[in-house]
Amino acid sequence: MNSPPYPFADSVASPSAELKSGHGRIVVSSHASKAVFSELAATYPLKLLSPRVGADGVAVAYVLSYGGGLIGGDEVVLDVKVKDDARLVLLSQGSTKVFKMRLGTRLASSAWVDSSLASPQPIPEGSADAPTLTTQVMDYRVHEGCGLYLLPEPVTCFRDASYKQIQRFHLEDRTSSLVLVDSITSGRQALGEDWDFAKYYSMNEVWIGGKLITKDVMLLEGDREAAKSPDDSSRHRVPKRLLRDQLAPYSCYAMVLLYGPQAQETIEDIANQYKEYIVYQRRMPTDSLWSFSLLGENTADGAVVRIAGKETEVVRSCLKATLRRLERVIGVDTFRRAFA
Amino acid sequence: MDSDEETYLLLLLADSNLPTGSFVASSGLESYIKHGFSSSPEPTTLTFLRDSLTSYARTSLAFVADAHRLVSRLASSAENASDKGKESADIQQVLEELVTLDNQYEALTLNHVARRASKAQGVALLTLYSKGFTTPSNLSAYSDPKKRDNEKFMLQLLDKFKLQVRREEVTGHLPVCWGALTAALGLTLERAQYLHLFLHARSVISASVRLNELGPYNAQQTLLHAVRPLVAEEVERCKHLRTGLLDEPGANFDEMTQGPANTWPLGEILATRHDLQHSRIFNS
Repeated sequence: MNSPPYPFADSVASPSAELKSGHGRIVVSSHASKAVFSELAATYPLKLLSPRVGADGVAVAYVLSYGGGLIGGDEVVLDVKVKDDARLVLLSQGSTKVFKMRLGTRLASSAWVDSSLASPQPIPEGSADAPTLTTQVMDYRVHEGCGLYLLPEPVTCFRDASYKQIQRFHLEDRTSSLVLVDSITSGRQALGEDWDFAKYYSMNEVWIGGKLITKDVMLLEGDREAAKSPDDSSRHRVPKRLLRDQLAPYSCYAMVLLYGPQAQETIEDIANQYKEYIVYQRRMPTDSLWSFSLLGENTADGAVVRIAGKETEVVRSCLKATLRRLERVIGVDTFRRAFA
Repeated sequence: MDSDEETYLLLLLADSNLPTGSFVASSGLESYIKHGFSSSPEPTTLTFLRDSLTSYARTSLAFVADAHRLVSRLASSAENASDKGKESADIQQVLEELVTLDNQYEALTLNHVARRASKAQGVALLTLYSKGFTTPSNLSAYSDPKKRDNEKFMLQLLDKFKLQVRREEVTGHLPVCWGALTAALGLTLERAQYLHLFLHARSVISASVRLNELGPYNAQQTLLHAVRPLVAEEVERCKHLRTGLLDEPGANFDEMTQGPANTWPLGEILATRHDLQHSRIFNS
């Protein structure tokens, strides 16, 4: 069975341990109500920045990529640890853009360290996923009483891009708190991109006290190969279904997961907002849509919110309204930075 | 099992009168229509069904497969074994693995409406085995004694699983229970997966008729001409998926290409919003 080793034993990698290409590490703790980064390191194409703001005990860091985007073949790995009563807010600057591979451009992955960049060989299209797939693997540990607030801008996959994102959140116990936002847009609308990427895979696992509580997996495939039947003569006649038709009329989808004592007020507030809605027969879909589910019997077990909107801005303001009680938890300034 | 027997079993399992609780579930169709998502020129029901089926197949077939494998393995080992002690240890082992699968499905199903529909139909299937498929004493003259031994063994397993559900130690989700039930009945995995998707599609069509979205004749045409290739395609695409939980450590399991996933976030939102409808005839 694939349960991870209990991750809260006290083995800290020395800060000077070498980071591989595209790797990053964040360790934050709080002493006398001041949040302190004991580690904040990253290598190209990953970049980590921390502005000098934050309410008591709240640390803020921006997770960025050089050039404002990632391309096929990029592998980013990020390890984050929040301990000693700290609260960490992770933001991004603008949406994370994912491009398809272009030959001759950077190959920022340790798997490619030996390839000769002087004379790039054309990579056959049909070859293994490695050249065209962009991967981000993030591992977060939230110690008891701590809080992690992941509030990035959406991921935008451009035409033909392929993207895979794995996030694992290990909460030490039920005194740890987590609010996680994961969102995606349909592409560069100005260029007429409308869910034109090749593949988007996002997995979020939340473990509490060593037990898997939530596993949210979303897979969007733009170019699904029609399944062939064993003898090709009776091939299934199924007309092609485009991703943009499946997801219409919305161009942005977001998901929020909330757990722990610091998130309780927010969860209760959302539940109260949600239960006021009554839906009557509509002729057309609304400009935005959202849903709310408790993950267990009551708010203490966590909650999930899903939002869809015709525009990214609509989803952002919906997120801001939904998460308004977080202002008290992460501070007004930081809240505004997150939902500017 | 010979092909006549298998066909007969399929006829029974496909009977819309089978008490499985699927009658009250629209799989999100009612909410979809209520929220204004109708389409042309392809009929609303068919558009909904395509997206619903794709996502459902991608999420559930891995669990049907793994549960089926677990119970089949147990059934075939029972045929050869005679050691009662080992048998009950085997049952215990399989039970634990079924619970692991079920907990994973629970973790993957964030939508509380889908969770409750899956739970209701799952336990209905467990009840179905004991009350609807085992041989009662007054019909014993019709059945083969060796088969009845195997039945007793499967009954032990499924009853124990149901007891854990009643005790709220496990949820008992539909795909896991379906895999276990069909394996207990001796149906092949491929047939079990195919039938599972067919029944999902048929249930949506049936809901559509009751919602007045599709007429009864149109429904039959849709089932014959459109649903058939749709189901066949999704089975072909998803029959090799698995959860990875039953793999040996170190096995090469790639979650992205071999594991379960949701493929329709819009459907998720609308299905979750089912309870917000002012008036509704379905439970989910």
